[in-house]
Amino acid sequence: MSILNDPSMKEIVDDFCEEADSLFNLLENSLNLLEEDPRNTRELEKFGQIIDRIMGAAKSIGATEIALFCELGKTIGYKSSQIKEIPLIEVVVAILFDSLDMLRKMNQSLKAGNNTSMNQLNTKAFATRLNWLSAKFKDIERASCAVPDEKLNQNSIDELMKSLGL
Amino acid sequence: MALKVDTKILIVDDMSTMRKIIKNMLSQIGFTNISEADDGATAWPMIENAIKEGRPYEFIVSDWNMPQMSGLDLLKNVRATPGLEKLPFLMITAESEQGNVVIAVKAGVSNFIVKPFSAQVLKEKIDRIFK
Repeated sequence: MSILNDPSMKEIVDDFCEEADSLFNLLENSLNLLEEDPRNTRELEKFGQIIDRIMGAAKSIGATEIALFCELGKTIGYKSSQIKEIPLIEVVVAILFDSLDMLRKMNQSLKAGNNTSMNQLNTKAFATRLNWLSAKFKDIERASCAVPDEKLNQNSIDELMKSLGL
Repeated sequence: MALKVDTKILIVDDMSTMRKIIKNMLSQIGFTNISEADDGATAWPMIENAIKEGRPYEFIVSDWNMPQMSGLDLLKNVRATPGLEKLPFLMITAESEQGNVVIAVKAGVSNFIVKPFSAQVLKEKIDRIFK
């Protein structure tokens, strides 16, 4: 039985929801800074680090949908931090804003213990969109905090821009 | 190193949710002497003070990704400290990438566990570290 489905572990789930809420604010702050200055790709890396922390705890309590969104957000954050093309970063930031909004709604549903409202969020369609974006970065290998910086070749960037219609 | 129920353990994780989960699991396994730190930067002075007091930690369970001092940097500090070269150090991460394992092993980690994990898996890792 996952922690999420264990009534004796409700306190841990409530704690997770509170912590996730405060980390969502940090994510929003990073995205706001990026919206103001898309060249500040350090904030995308920071976004990846913060969302990774939520992901680990979400996986551990059995909040699989939140964990999936965080995993995709983390990959996109880290990978897009290695690109320099401003129009592409702007697209990424817009999608990450939408993802954050979805994560907040999922967390609210979790807090309320309301599976019905979670189902109404249509997370699958949005996850497909995130997966699509993540796949666009397939040539960028670095997707985590651990592996040192790698330089992307220009062909990969050009292909990525083209596939996004930019 | 012998494994006792009062083995002095330090859990290091910036997420209080994770600290509670891990503490819960360690208690289930039977451990009774468990302290917590919310970052590597908080843990490091605790480790140093414990040495000064003559009651050093005997086992560190640390997350990798933390905002101020990462688990990897904490591990490097530990390994660079005389007397702590062999201190059992279990690294927890949400990453299952091979690169992370290699980096952690090179830094001297005792074992590596990927979230999510059960109390049983944690016990197996601990048994392997202390065997």
